[in-house]
Amino acid sequence: MLGMRLFLIGIVVTAIAGGGFYVMKLKADNEILKANAIKMEQAITEQKQLIENQKKDFQAILTANNEMNELVNNLKKDLDDLDNRFNKGGRDFGKLAIEKTETIQRIINGASDKVLRCVEIAGGAPLTEEEINATKKSEINRECPSIANPNYVPYNN
Amino acid sequence: MYRIIISILVILFLTGCSGVKKLSIFKEEVPRAKLDLAKPTMPELEKLKWIIITSDNADEVFKKMEEQGLDPVLFGLNDKDFQLIAKNFAQIRAHLKVTNDLLDKYKEYYEKEDKDKDEKRN
Repeated sequence: MLGMRLFLIGIVVTAIAGGGFYVMKLKADNEILKANAIKMEQAITEQKQLIENQKKDFQAILTANNEMNELVNNLKKDLDDLDNRFNKGGRDFGKLAIEKTETIQRIINGASDKVLRCVEIAGGAPLTEEEINATKKSEINRECPSIANPNYVPYNN
Repeated sequence: MYRIIISILVILFLTGCSGVKKLSIFKEEVPRAKLDLAKPTMPELEKLKWIIITSDNADEVFKKMEEQGLDPVLFGLNDKDFQLIAKNFAQIRAHLKVTNDLLDKYKEYYEKEDKDKDEKRN
């Protein structure tokens, strides 16, 4: 009978001790969960930042693409303009050079100097104040206005 | 009675097996070495002088060249080829400009990110 009582007491004491340990374990788990929640919040913030950066990158890529397309189109216009100058209105450049040799020589030498400046600009040389501020036909570099004269808007008169 | 007590004990022991694992996030950022190549500067180009020769002025042109101390020799193009060389030059110029701007765009895109990071660190 005494043995039975001792056994029951032992079980009760073990149960109480187990309960105590269980509560302590729950507290420890709770701490870990809190730490996990903080880390999760940090991870979410970082993810949001990442998404924001991706949006900015996408916008930058789009802008760069548009600017490059615009440049290519403008350069193509310059090329068409050059073609047009040689053959405008069925003009025969060779015949013109025979008839007005001195004039044409002067014109092509002037154009040649401007072309060299165009190459310098295309190679990365900075624009001069004069080139930047040019808005009239008489002020621009007619060989490459799209890259030499950013403020020039073509007009016909 | 025993069965109930044993059942409670078994449940208590089993619940002790369950647990919450610590969350670990590993993150190690190793910055890539910068290429940092200097952009070449465009040299100033030498000016050229074109001379137009026709059957009428050829003698006069050569005579002038001799007077100026130049060898009386010219490397010629006909009018069609002159137009072609002008167009070729324009194509090369356009390609140079596009390549150059492309390089600038890449530099701006990738190095801006590095600059932002450097600013944040400072």
